[in-house]
Amino acid sequence: MQETGMISAYAELLAAKLGFDRSLSQRVREEVEDHLREAAEANAGCDAREAERRAIVEFGDAHAIAAELAAASLAQETRKAGLAVILIIVGVFMAMKARIAWYAATQWALNDDVKEISAIVGSIDVYAFWVAVIVGIAGWAYISSRPIPTAFDPFRQQLRRFRLLSLAATAALVISVIGDGVLTALRLLGTDFSAGFLIPLFSMALEIGCAGFLISHIRGVVLRAACAGAQLKT
Amino acid sequence: MLKGHLDMIVLAALAAGPAHGYAVIEAIRRKSGRAFDLPEGTIYPALHRLEQARLLASRWVNAESGRKRRIYTLTRSRHRALAERHAVWEQFSDAIGALLEGTRCKKPA
Repeated sequence: MQETGMISAYAELLAAKLGFDRSLSQRVREEVEDHLREAAEANAGCDAREAERRAIVEFGDAHAIAAELAAASLAQETRKAGLAVILIIVGVFMAMKARIAWYAATQWALNDDVKEISAIVGSIDVYAFWVAVIVGIAGWAYISSRPIPTAFDPFRQQLRRFRLLSLAATAALVISVIGDGVLTALRLLGTDFSAGFLIPLFSMALEIGCAGFLISHIRGVVLRAACAGAQLKT
Repeated sequence: MLKGHLDMIVLAALAAGPAHGYAVIEAIRRKSGRAFDLPEGTIYPALHRLEQARLLASRWVNAESGRKRRIYTLTRSRHRALAERHAVWEQFSDAIGALLEGTRCKKPA
């Protein structure tokens, strides 16, 4: 059957509405194009233009289909992000515990002149960490307990709530990591450099890496959700 | 109402064996005696959702036409899901049946 370009244009339109997720967009374009060509071939009694037009009409509204696909894709993204928050918090906790165990094993005591400030920073650190744990678990439980959405508009509210919870958990974790950094610096300052520094420095690098990865991941999800919202508005 | 049960309908259509989206919608039409004449595109969000829920798996193959084609297959975990949806449907169907019982108009003699 001779192609008129209508099917390609429709598939491109649908793919463009899913531009926030390149792999989904590409997959949908190829899948929909194959479907429409087969449907047009089934309308072999008509001329090519009419067969393609009918296939497109029977396929449905591109905007509505894209909105449903976007909701399913973003639901999966947010579930992964919810789990990432929990895993990163566990990673930071393990790095923190390893450092404290190292201080205990090497009997690495704090200087008396920084004990007071260490106690203040330590309290902020502990509270921030537990806020991150509680809010992170709440965000993960919230998003993973929702059914996979079948429409984009009702999903917007879920997205907004999850974004708020994950941003709060990330902010609290960043405060906790900064607190850990200050505490580590207070312990290392005034001590001669030795191989024993490597464990605290490595554990701090791990914490900073974990926090950086989380910020980048959450930012990615928030941007994709915003992009999807904008692309599906028109 | 039909949309609320689309996932179950798609799973049931794929129970016969692996198929691509167009074949799934054709199977639904054929098995339902064309009673379920959905816009064809609505099948794809359902297929993607079911794949995310790990009830379906999919892969690209090359069709005879030379085009790339995505084929969907039921996974092992679909049995429980299909049974659950079946039970929900039967409960719904029984409830409607009970409500309608005795409401059918008698033909005038």
